[in-house]
Amino acid sequence: MAEIVLEKVSRWFGNVVAVNDVSMRIGPGVTGLLGPNGAGKTTLMAMMSGFLAPSAGEVLLDGAPVWRNTEAYRQLGLVPEREISFGYLTGRQFVRANAELQGLSDPGAATEKALERVELVEPSGRRIDTYSKGMRQRVKIAAALVHEPGVMLLDEPFNGVDPRQRMQLMALLHDMGETGHTILFSSHILEEVERLARHIEVVVSGRHAASGDFGAIRRLMTDRPVQYFLRSDDDRALAVALVAEPSVRAVRFVDSGGLDVEVADLGTFVHGLPVWARAGDISLIEVSPSDESLESVFSYLVAR
Amino acid sequence: MSEPSPTQHPTAQHPTAQQPVTGVIHDIGYRRYTGPRDGDARIAFSLYVTALKHAYGLGRSGRSKVLPFLLLGLTLLPAVIMVGVVAMFGFDEQVRTYAAYTNTVQVLVSIFAASQAPTIFSRDLRSRSIVLYLARPLSARTSALVRWAALATACLIFILAPQLVLYVGGLLSRLDAGDETLSFLKALPLDLLLAAMLASITGLIASMALRRGFAVVGSILAVLVVSTALSAVQAIAAEFDSPRTGEISGLFSPWALVNGLASVMDAGVEVITPPQGAVMVSAYVLAALLMAALPVLALVARFRKAGR
Amino acid sequence: MNTTIARLALAALLGRKRFILLLLFPVALIGLSVLVRVLTSDAEVALGILFGLGLLVILPLLALVSATAVMGPEVDDGSLVYLLAKPVSRHSVAFSKYVVALAAVLLLGPLPMLVTGFAIGSGDQDLVLAGSVSATLGAIAYTSLFLALSTVWKHAVVVGLLFVLLWEGTLAAIFSGVAWLSIGQWAARIGATIDADWADDAVPLWWAVGALFVVGIGGVWFSGDRLRSFSLKGDD
Repeated sequence: MAEIVLEKVSRWFGNVVAVNDVSMRIGPGVTGLLGPNGAGKTTLMAMMSGFLAPSAGEVLLDGAPVWRNTEAYRQLGLVPEREISFGYLTGRQFVRANAELQGLSDPGAATEKALERVELVEPSGRRIDTYSKGMRQRVKIAAALVHEPGVMLLDEPFNGVDPRQRMQLMALLHDMGETGHTILFSSHILEEVERLARHIEVVVSGRHAASGDFGAIRRLMTDRPVQYFLRSDDDRALAVALVAEPSVRAVRFVDSGGLDVEVADLGTFVHGLPVWARAGDISLIEVSPSDESLESVFSYLVAR
Repeated sequence: MSEPSPTQHPTAQHPTAQQPVTGVIHDIGYRRYTGPRDGDARIAFSLYVTALKHAYGLGRSGRSKVLPFLLLGLTLLPAVIMVGVVAMFGFDEQVRTYAAYTNTVQVLVSIFAASQAPTIFSRDLRSRSIVLYLARPLSARTSALVRWAALATACLIFILAPQLVLYVGGLLSRLDAGDETLSFLKALPLDLLLAAMLASITGLIASMALRRGFAVVGSILAVLVVSTALSAVQAIAAEFDSPRTGEISGLFSPWALVNGLASVMDAGVEVITPPQGAVMVSAYVLAALLMAALPVLALVARFRKAGR
Repeated sequence: MNTTIARLALAALLGRKRFILLLLFPVALIGLSVLVRVLTSDAEVALGILFGLGLLVILPLLALVSATAVMGPEVDDGSLVYLLAKPVSRHSVAFSKYVVALAAVLLLGPLPMLVTGFAIGSGDQDLVLAGSVSATLGAIAYTSLFLALSTVWKHAVVVGLLFVLLWEGTLAAIFSGVAWLSIGQWAARIGATIDADWADDAVPLWWAVGALFVVGIGGVWFSGDRLRSFSLKGDD
């Protein structure tokens, strides 16, 4: 059970602040590090992997600082965004070199196992510079997990990978998360993060904007209209009742039945809805928040 | 933002009542450009200007400006000192002639050509983005020639800059204007020839060895190390009273060629075994022209291949 | 010393065209020396070419190419992180790369010089020995210096060239004081203990030994230290 802890970490380059006073804990399971381009994701990843000194604060892996601590890499697997320039090696040679550098007792077996995990056994005899983008990405991942690290850090792992391979990689990361590994991956594509991680850390302009389950984060943002989808046995009567309430901003009929409701004051609405329904003798069949998608969370945080 | 009015894409079928609307492309204001377009000459010219600026790091990051300007500074420094010496002590002629000055700073000129050739020739070949240029509208041949011309111009500027300092400084120190102008004009064709040869050799090497470091060292090997070795051979040849060997060995290095021709023109350059006789002199001229032209042909071939 | 790092460095050094460039140096040097020897039938002149050109130009350039080839590209494009994200001391990474680069330099520089020297020389074994010892010592220091350079600056090759050609080549010929800060001069000074005709004593022996020692060890140590602070720079 490995854990990465950031305590009041800041990093500045000259007078540009890339990461501003960020504290977070990343434990077992899959965590998505989310933020628009230029938010400081790569800087954070670099500090977590020991390839950048924090200007202030501490980055700890299981209690020990990561910076200038080469022993930390026994617990850490890193998949940088950069292309690998070891094109003159075959996939197997590259992964094997990583296994040897980790000082594994049986690097050959570990290499084969890692290649199998990323489904790269068949092309592993070819030179890396003949690989497609997706294969390069997978060989990087194989090299990072060859020593079965407790923590995997992946910077934009799905960039340039085609959809089928993306699904495979996601399944792989998901499995690792399920088996108690700490997986942190960064992305600026919401759909990826939403599919793979319930737990997210959001950074915006170098600041830690939000943390936790994204549904929960969404519910915290009460000062912004929330979308609900309602179905009842009498939608029109329900609409009449809702429009009278100040906590409701807009009601829209959905063609296939049901109502889209825009709510201004979430607390009042959630408590009031059953009361109003009972008063009008209306049965509610479905009540669901319709925009708890990461997209809305994200656009909210970025716009703030 | 106002909602743009949906209009049908020109090629789409106009929907009718029977046909369900399956899709629509909104007209959000993109327009075809139908105005006049610049011709190849204009495109070639802007590529030339861009490449020339890039050779000096202009229009690139601050870090890429350091090296060319450091080299330029180093090559100007002795000229400035010489001008100062001439002015202060009232010499009646330059410390070094224009052609001799260039020879004195041959290390700097060679390093400049070797280090800046890759910025013009290998960056887009290495990243294979060259294909984008060559798909249209400039032909591979024009593109290669234009880049070569830009590198040659960059080298020429590098060679001429200190000579101009000397010239202007000399005139201000009231050296004989006629003598100075004559000496300067003598150096000019040599400068042109040298710039062309350096651009050809370093450009070809840069386009072949795509790693910058290897291109630089390879160029230095071809331009400077060969020249150093050949001057050693010339010295030995003179010692053993076989100047012909020295003259012939001079045919294989751009610096030896230029210096040999300079000594023939009496431009103030000392050469151990200068070319003797009309045949040898014309061989020097021919060799210099070939050294400038042949690599350019190879460059064009290289670009043709890359564009495919 | 880490054999895996060394093996990867060797692969980077021998990769395709690069080795041809490296091979060009000794081939050109030997070819020229032998040619001069045959044409002039004067062993002294041929040795002069062999060690003069060899020590002043060929050896430093050889060291420059080898040292930057094992380190430069990986520092340049950041793929060094794959080697550094490992429980391996970074001084050991630098040292392993240094050993490979130095081995290549010794194999292609001092060794062919020694062999060629004996082949074309006319019994003046001391001179050949002095030259080869100087070449070996020079190789140790040059490779170390250029390795350190390539961990610092992207344009390590050009800076190295300026050092070799301008500082040690041109300026040293004009200002004798440059000898105090010239690897070539230090190496030659030590070689002169074998054959006094080999070089003049522009610097005292203790200085030459000490300076070579400092540069040889210091360059590698400094490279390791730079790797300890190796930072991954993102696009944002």
